Amino acid sequence: MYAQFFGNYLLSHGVVTQEQLLQAMQKAATEKIKLGTLAIHAGYMTADEVERIIILQTHQDRRFGELAIQEGYLTEAEVSELLKAQQPDFLLLGQALVDGNMIDNKQLQDLIIRYQSENELSDFDYSADAKEQIDQLIEKFFVVAEHPLSDYEVPFLRLFLNNLIRFIGDDFTLAAPSLCKEYPRNYCVSQQIIGSCPMNTFLDMSQETAIAFASRYADELFTEFDEYVRSSLEDFLNLNNGLFTVNLSNEDSVELILTPPVTESPELLVFNVETYLLPIVYPFGTLYFLLEMTKNS
Amino acid sequence: MTLENVKILICDDSILARKQLKDLILKHGSPVFLEASNGQDAIDLYKKEAPDLVFLDIVMPIKDGNAAIREIVSFDKNADIIIASSVGTQSELKAAIEAGAKDFIQKPLNPSQIDYIITSRFEGR
Repeated sequence: MYAQFFGNYLLSHGVVTQEQLLQAMQKAATEKIKLGTLAIHAGYMTADEVERIIILQTHQDRRFGELAIQEGYLTEAEVSELLKAQQPDFLLLGQALVDGNMIDNKQLQDLIIRYQSENELSDFDYSADAKEQIDQLIEKFFVVAEHPLSDYEVPFLRLFLNNLIRFIGDDFTLAAPSLCKEYPRNYCVSQQIIGSCPMNTFLDMSQETAIAFASRYADELFTEFDEYVRSSLEDFLNLNNGLFTVNLSNEDSVELILTPPVTESPELLVFNVETYLLPIVYPFGTLYFLLEMTKNS
Repeated sequence: MTLENVKILICDDSILARKQLKDLILKHGSPVFLEASNGQDAIDLYKKEAPDLVFLDIVMPIKDGNAAIREIVSFDKNADIIIASSVGTQSELKAAIEAGAKDFIQKPLNPSQIDYIITSRFEGR
């Protein structure tokens, strides 16, 4: 999930355009990480050293690792360590940007250092189930108007982002979240969670985006905005919220109740409290997720 | 295995969820499918058609899954009802089993669980 936050960092710092970022995310999904990118991230090689090895590779038909050892930049133990360690997925995104000539390795090196330092990620264990670290990123990302997330919103958002990756795909990036009291809907489904941490959840998108979203979710090609497409949106929200209630029940013994998901009819949604609005940008369109906490938990 | 004379009632407010479940069952044969989108319609269909097997969601409009189980079981104590829901909490599980459900499967559906449910009931037919 680190790649999605890194993508937002690149966008918000003007490193890439949204179009370039989505292109790179699609490319990253099919690529393997290169040893040079790993070596830059680990601080074992500078970008200049990596570039030098890449040039050497154009003259000698040898692997990057062999040449880096020959030139004294890496030891055999370091190569082996780099290949074995679990690496953050945002490196693949960075590498795709380099391969697409949107940035060079030197810029990637600077970006990695700045991004990790600003997000206090330097000693991270990047294993996929590192909940605390993902939570730290979510908390930092969602500080909007000095309105920190509650104890339940952080795990909720972690689950939601994981479910997007699991059921829709990981080629999305997050645009900056904001708080709103009104929202003009497109096609919007909602579901209430009732209990000690009550919240209203909303998922909104255009009809064209909904068709593509549903095609991915149901793993079937939909071409019209029909009842299966509408059902897919409700299903996804219901599935996410159902899993949230299971997690809270198992981990915190908190029992919550879900109402059936519904399609919102008013064109302008008006909220009782300030509500988080999170745009999620996929190549096929933008999803708008809204989270209204109906009372302070 | 043939499912030709088997009636299976699928009750879920999501048309997509009903379709996905039907697709998984159709790998084993072609039963008669009965469909409902809320608990009340499931009760009415059960009383009229006496299906061999019922898949029921919990969170549904009009009448939820647990209320539907109680009514179906009070009508037919041998009703074979499987809950298929994304709300697989301990309390929901307990409530469903107490109401008379035979099993509980957590969504997203795992095809091998559906395979087991179908083959364990209808193999040899």
